[in-house]
Amino acid sequence: MPTIANEYLGRKPDEYRILLELENVPNSRELKTYREHGGYKALEKVLKTPMSPDDVIGIVKASGLRGRGGAGFPTGLKWSFVPKGEGDKYLITNFDEGEPGTFKDCYISEISPHSLVEGKIIASYAIGAQKSYIYIRGEFHNEIRWCEKAIREAYDAGFLGKNILGSNFSHDMDIYCGAGAYICGEETGLISSLEGKKGQPKLKPPFPAVKGYLGKPTVVNNVESLAVVPWIINHGPDAYKKFGTEKAPGTKLFNVSGPIAKPGCYEVPLGYPLMKFINEDCGGLIAGKKLKAIIPGGSSAPVLTAKECENITLDYESIAAAGSMLGSGAIIVVPEDVSMVEVLENLMDFYAHESCGQCTPCREGTGWLFKMSKRILQGSANRLDIDKMYNVAEHMRGRTICVLSDAAADPAKAIIQKFAHEFEPYLKG
Amino acid sequence: MSYFSDELKKIIEGYLLRYETKRSSILPILHAIQDEKDWISDADVEALEKEFELSAVDIREVLTFYTMYRQKPPKPYRFEVCKSISCWLMGANKTIAAVKLDIENAEKEGRPLPFEVHAVECLGQCGYAPSTLINKDRHNNVTPERALELIREYSAKELPQAAKNCAKLK
Repeated sequence: MPTIANEYLGRKPDEYRILLELENVPNSRELKTYREHGGYKALEKVLKTPMSPDDVIGIVKASGLRGRGGAGFPTGLKWSFVPKGEGDKYLITNFDEGEPGTFKDCYISEISPHSLVEGKIIASYAIGAQKSYIYIRGEFHNEIRWCEKAIREAYDAGFLGKNILGSNFSHDMDIYCGAGAYICGEETGLISSLEGKKGQPKLKPPFPAVKGYLGKPTVVNNVESLAVVPWIINHGPDAYKKFGTEKAPGTKLFNVSGPIAKPGCYEVPLGYPLMKFINEDCGGLIAGKKLKAIIPGGSSAPVLTAKECENITLDYESIAAAGSMLGSGAIIVVPEDVSMVEVLENLMDFYAHESCGQCTPCREGTGWLFKMSKRILQGSANRLDIDKMYNVAEHMRGRTICVLSDAAADPAKAIIQKFAHEFEPYLKG
Repeated sequence: MSYFSDELKKIIEGYLLRYETKRSSILPILHAIQDEKDWISDADVEALEKEFELSAVDIREVLTFYTMYRQKPPKPYRFEVCKSISCWLMGANKTIAAVKLDIENAEKEGRPLPFEVHAVECLGQCGYAPSTLINKDRHNNVTPERALELIREYSAKELPQAAKNCAKLK
C-alpha cells in the first residue's frame, strides 16, 4: 500500500513516513531490519542518556500526540495521571481492532511490530510499569504470530527482561488473545477481559490510570499511539509537530474502504483535505460509482453527505465541526447506488450483536434500532415508526457505562436526519 | 491420569502460571482446548474445575460471552465471512449466499462438504473486502467465485487434526 504521495506541504512522499517508514523494505518485521533502520535507538537514548520518566512524558506531551484509538485524548497527559512511586503498574496495548472500517493496527504489526514493542517499553519506563500486555483480537492469527515473534526477539536482544541495556529498568511483556467481543476495545472492558472475565466495561471514575488491571494503575494505549513513540523520542517533539495541525500534530494512519480505486492503509499528515485524499491519493471511487456519503471515523462516526465532505480536512477539529468524528481514522465510502436504509440496518445489526448487555438503554436500544430498521426495509413500517426510532436513539445517548450505546445511536440519528427522503419508498401509509 | 492429553495438560499448566491471577488463564486455556478438539464440552469444563481448581462458573462466564468459543461440535472447516459495513458494501452478502448454496446443494446431492458458513462481524481487513477466515487462515477479496474455489481446495485436503480429534470424541 502506498504512503500518500503528493505535494501537500511541499514535502516529498518519504518525508511523511513515520509509522510506515519500513513499508517497502523487505523483511521489515525482523529485528535485524528494524535495527538497520535505527530501531531501538530511541530506547537506548532513553535508558543510556539517561532520561527520567518525567522527561519522556514531557517529550510526548510536548509532541501533542493524541490517542489514535478513537477518542484522541493526549497520550502524554494520560501517562502523567499514573501515580508516582513504587508498586505494581501496567501498560496494556489495545490491539482489539474491531471498529468496522479499521485495519491500521493490523497493518502496523504487518510492517513493523518492533515499533510497537519499542514504543511499549519506552511508555512502560515512563509510567513505571514492570509488566505490559498486548491485548489482541483472537481472530488476528497472523498478527498474533508477528507480535509474539517480535517480543521473543526483543527478549533475546536484551531489550526486555531484567536490567534492560544495563539500566535499573526491568520489564516483561506478554500477549493476551481476546475471543471475539467488540466491547473489549473499550479500555475498561478490555481490562475485565484480561482479568479472565466477561469483557464488560466499568464506570469511570476511577480511571484505569488509578485503578485498572487487578485494581492497579494501568494505562491502555492504542497500537498506533505507542508505535509512533520511538520516532518522537528520536526526532524530538518539534519535528513531530511539523506535521499536522496546531491542535492535532503529526501523521495518522487512515484506512479507506468501500468501492474505492485504491483501498488500503495510508499515512497522512493530520489536516489533509478529505476529498483530495479520496479523489487523488486513493484514486477516487471505482469506475461508474458516484459518491453519496462518507463515514469518516469508523462505523460509530455519524455519516457525512458528499456535500458536507467537500471542505473537510482530516483532523479531529474539522470533522467534529461537521458533526462527526475522526475516530480511528477509518474512512468508509458509500456510493450513490447503495440505499442508506440498508446501511442503517447493517450498522444496527453490528451494534445489536456487540452490545455487552450490561446497561438497559444499550441492550434494549441497540436491539430495537436493529429490529426497527429491519421492519422499515421489509416495508412494514410507517412514518411514526421513523420518529419512534429517532426517539429511541435519542434516549440511548449518555445514559450508559460506556459509549457503545452512543456509537449506535449517533449514526442512526445522522442517517435518519440526513437521508429522510430515502426512507419514503419503504414506508406504508 | 489427567482427562486432558499430555500435551494439552502441559499447555494448561503453563497458562496457569503465566499470568498474575489464575483466572486470567481461562481465555487462553479455552483457546488451547479448542485448538486441540475444535470445541469445548461440558466435560472439558468439569475437568478444568476438578483438575486445576478453576471455577466452573468463571469458565462458563467466559465461554458463553465470547463468540469465538464453540459449545457444540462444529464441521471441520468454518467459513467465516465478514458482513460488516465495508465488506457488505463490497458484496459480502453474495459471497455468503454462494457458500451457503454450495453447502446446501452438496448436502442434497448426498456428498456433504466438511464446511459450515458463518456471517461474522468485522474481521479488521476492511480494505481487502470481502474478508474471510477459514479456521485460522485469512483469505481476503473473496468473491463468490473465489469462495467456491476455496471450498474445493480445502475439501481436497486432509482434514485438520482438531477435526479428527473432534470426530473421534463424538
